[in-house]
Amino acid sequence: MMLTPLDLLPDALNASFKLIPAIMVSAMLLLFLGIGYAFRVADTEDLWVAGRSIGNVENGMAIGANWMSAASYLGMAALIALSGYYGLAFVVGWSTGYFILLIFLAAQMRRFGKYTAPDFVGDRFDSDTARAIAALTTILIGFVYSVGQARGMGLVGIYVFGGDYTTMVVLMMGITVGYLALSGMLGATKNMAVQYVILIVAFLAGLYAVGWTQGYSTFLPQVEYGALLSQLNTEFTQPFTNGGFYLWVATAFSLIVGTCGLPHVLVRFYTVESERTARWSTVWGLFFICLLYLSAPAFAAFGTDLYAKKVGDVYGASGMSGAEGDVIVVLASQLANLPTWFVGLVAAGGIAAAIATTAGLFIAASSAAAHDIYTNIINSDATQRQQLLIGRATIVVLGAIVTLTALNPPALVGELVALAFSLAGLVLFPMFFLGLWWENANRPGALAGMTTGLLIWTAAVFNELILATDAGPVVPIYADIFPAVGAALAGTPIVFAVTIGVSLATDEPPERIKRIVRQCHSPEPMGQQQSAEDVVSNDGGPVSGDD
Amino acid sequence: MSDNNSRKSENPSRESDDASRGDESNTAVETGGGESEPGEPRRGAKRTDGGVATGGRTADTDYLDARVNIFKPSTPFMRDHLRIVWTMFAAWAVFVFGPVTATYLATDFMTSTTVGGFPLHYLLTSMGAPLGALVLSFVYARKRDALDEKYGIDHSSGATSADAEPAAADGGTER
Repeated sequence: MMLTPLDLLPDALNASFKLIPAIMVSAMLLLFLGIGYAFRVADTEDLWVAGRSIGNVENGMAIGANWMSAASYLGMAALIALSGYYGLAFVVGWSTGYFILLIFLAAQMRRFGKYTAPDFVGDRFDSDTARAIAALTTILIGFVYSVGQARGMGLVGIYVFGGDYTTMVVLMMGITVGYLALSGMLGATKNMAVQYVILIVAFLAGLYAVGWTQGYSTFLPQVEYGALLSQLNTEFTQPFTNGGFYLWVATAFSLIVGTCGLPHVLVRFYTVESERTARWSTVWGLFFICLLYLSAPAFAAFGTDLYAKKVGDVYGASGMSGAEGDVIVVLASQLANLPTWFVGLVAAGGIAAAIATTAGLFIAASSAAAHDIYTNIINSDATQRQQLLIGRATIVVLGAIVTLTALNPPALVGELVALAFSLAGLVLFPMFFLGLWWENANRPGALAGMTTGLLIWTAAVFNELILATDAGPVVPIYADIFPAVGAALAGTPIVFAVTIGVSLATDEPPERIKRIVRQCHSPEPMGQQQSAEDVVSNDGGPVSGDD
Repeated sequence: MSDNNSRKSENPSRESDDASRGDESNTAVETGGGESEPGEPRRGAKRTDGGVATGGRTADTDYLDARVNIFKPSTPFMRDHLRIVWTMFAAWAVFVFGPVTATYLATDFMTSTTVGGFPLHYLLTSMGAPLGALVLSFVYARKRDALDEKYGIDHSSGATSADAEPAAADGGTER
């Protein structure tokens, strides 16, 4: 499925320079830069956790914007249009995972209260090696995930500015990196609320306008598109034609555990004021996410029908190309003959979505490099100035590598992003879950588990994407059991088993660590700036001798 | 220790259910078992301290001595919390993997039944699962708030930054 080389020009899309959309997109980007500049930061506490001052709804919106990348805005509708019922696995996985995050991880993570996801792994398992593996995984996730965003931004940019794909990818990534290097997390969080509003308004306005003008729907297109389903090609609704039951469940499962393991999602819980806010902002975040995820299938249905009527066959060899699919949201608006400025608004929403998420990912990756690798492992006396410098350098270097890779991406936006989820679900989720819910999980267990997860993922990606030929994966049976986008279904239980087994076979973690884990589950309120470790070490007791 | 006092005294509401909760919490501490030894003197100290100063109920259960194991909750609070968590997790699993499994097992029925134009499998998957998770999240957050209330937990005091200052100072002097 992910083997066909992808066209990088969406043929049906009207690619040319358009003045009004260009002004709109530029104004939006200037607004982001302005907000980023107004909230620019000079110290690391602000750069990474926004002074732990963010409230319920604002954090919910930030969760939404952080979450809703080009993969949600563009890729979701593309997957539903191109792969039918299998595409719904992405809707389900990317939304329902938040519930698991809420009941098992959000509040406990807030109580643990460090800066980054690798921080959690390193401190919980008391190991700089574990910290380094987690930090590298974080950077790898940011990289894979951002390639999908860059592809999305590049494709949509073509509609607005014309020109070619390469120029657009370079231009858009340049803007993202520029604003991030200026503003950091506080600016990014303020921006995310703005970005959420822009992207959801643009998406819903596009959906309502297409539905209304084409006579598909009136007031609730999210439900009214049902009437259209019987008129579409059966591939749109027929179950298990583009991927069997196992692949469906594996994909959904991977996206769910990936959601719970993504560093840039978790860091949102470190920015809130209390654990209760951590909980309620998750509920808000899921609400904001559902607004879009209930609408994406409707957009896909409208787009597919318009494509069939105005362009040609959707499925089959001469059907809709991957690049056309990835811009179907914009394409549908264009095919519905909506005014150019309006299509430009829909395109701007897609760009906002991609920039917001890339920002979150790059922040997570840069703090992994500056905080977890540089400060904690290489130079423990690093000044804030040095940390900021390393963090910003990481953003620039990562931006350059992502840009280069995105020039020739190996898969659809949604699929690229799903790869990052399966990595997070395999390597980080088991560490978060066991780390918080089983106090005897220890250092050797974590190291063995994370290594196992990394191996499973790397093997799946090499097997199915990098070394694969036109004939298919190198080892077909491995691809059946560990499909690259769904490797976590079979893989995560293995990682759990390895971690638990090795932990049982080796010494229990020190009492100090156990007490930190317990503090994460205690119902007693904690200070806003306190971490579980602070509480435990302030408490006296047998702590210090233990270490 | 002075930090503990100051935090507790900000929550006078906890005094009310102190008496009623005393017994079960004490048992819980004992079931915490195994390595209660190192925490022992401290727990005693805390209890006296609680009794004299404010009598906050948090003094009864020493959560730092209560083992954390998702299958073996060791405090009344965790037991109550995990009951909610597991019940809702089961409901979630039905919402998420129910529709696709039903579609796999009864393909004809699920695809030929239509509701408002939607084939049933499409409706339950595309709308049932996300909305189900949203509703469950809301219900969980409400239940968890109710649990906080039952155990006299007040997050508003935990959220003031004034709280953090004495904590930091305290830690500094102790070291």
